[in-house]
Amino acid sequence: MTRQAFMARLREGLRGLPPQAVADIVADYEAHFTEGEAAGRSEADVAEALGNPDRLARELKAEAQLTRWREERSPSSAAGAVFAVLGLGAIDILILLPILMAVAGTLFGLFIAVIACFFAGGLLFAAAPFVDPPGGTVAGVLAGIGLMAGATSFGAILTLVSIGLMNALVWYGRLHYRLLKPALEPQA
Amino acid sequence: MPEPIEIQLKKGALELCVLALLHSQDSYAYEIASRLSDQIGMGEGTIYPLMRRLQSDGLVETYLVESPAGPPRKYYRLTEPGKRSFASQKDAWSSFSGAVDQIVFGGAK
Repeated sequence: MTRQAFMARLREGLRGLPPQAVADIVADYEAHFTEGEAAGRSEADVAEALGNPDRLARELKAEAQLTRWREERSPSSAAGAVFAVLGLGAIDILILLPILMAVAGTLFGLFIAVIACFFAGGLLFAAAPFVDPPGGTVAGVLAGIGLMAGATSFGAILTLVSIGLMNALVWYGRLHYRLLKPALEPQA
Repeated sequence: MPEPIEIQLKKGALELCVLALLHSQDSYAYEIASRLSDQIGMGEGTIYPLMRRLQSDGLVETYLVESPAGPPRKYYRLTEPGKRSFASQKDAWSSFSGAVDQIVFGGAK
């Protein structure tokens, strides 16, 4: 493989990362080729020793996504991290996917329930003075406040649990991903 | 194709080797990659994902040094947490490898 072909495949594989990150990574590998050539090695030789650019790109991308998840707790960074870890083939996707779907589905359902509960509480709180619920107006207003407070605290706990589960998955993926395997095995 | 155990051993030891090289002196990725590839036979390209991970974990930091040929080189050096991590990984390695030697090669040691 020529230097140009290697770099083209690497860039292709890194698509989706922020331009600055891609530029840093590309500069690292360009420097490697330059050093290799200064040491009298051929382009093909250096490319061969570097390994498969697609695989390297996947590892670099996963690393970048995991860093992003650590810096920024958001649903999109979580999704990026999960897909990056799955993309490495670290975890058997056929076993994991149904579990992941079930867990994600349950969490999603609970979040919806919490939001609904919060709004129901708000409605009860606002409507109690006008509709005279069983137990009296004051009881209705207090029940509304109670429902909203309960929903808020349950939602907070749920968020913490979600973050904990994500961290566990990322930790497991990192522990098991076959970072070196393709580099150590001769490429076909 | 190397045996799975060989891959696992190298995988576990690579980070320790990189930290050890940087502990004895600052270096740049090409030099680290060629030394590790000569001595323990790992793919040279693998060094870059590892260096980025060490950097994002705060174990190493980089600085630029003019190179006699070509653009400036990016040198890596250990940070304080990097030095501590090296010390604890070194201890863990030495007690583990000592115990394994004892079992594998018998009471001769």
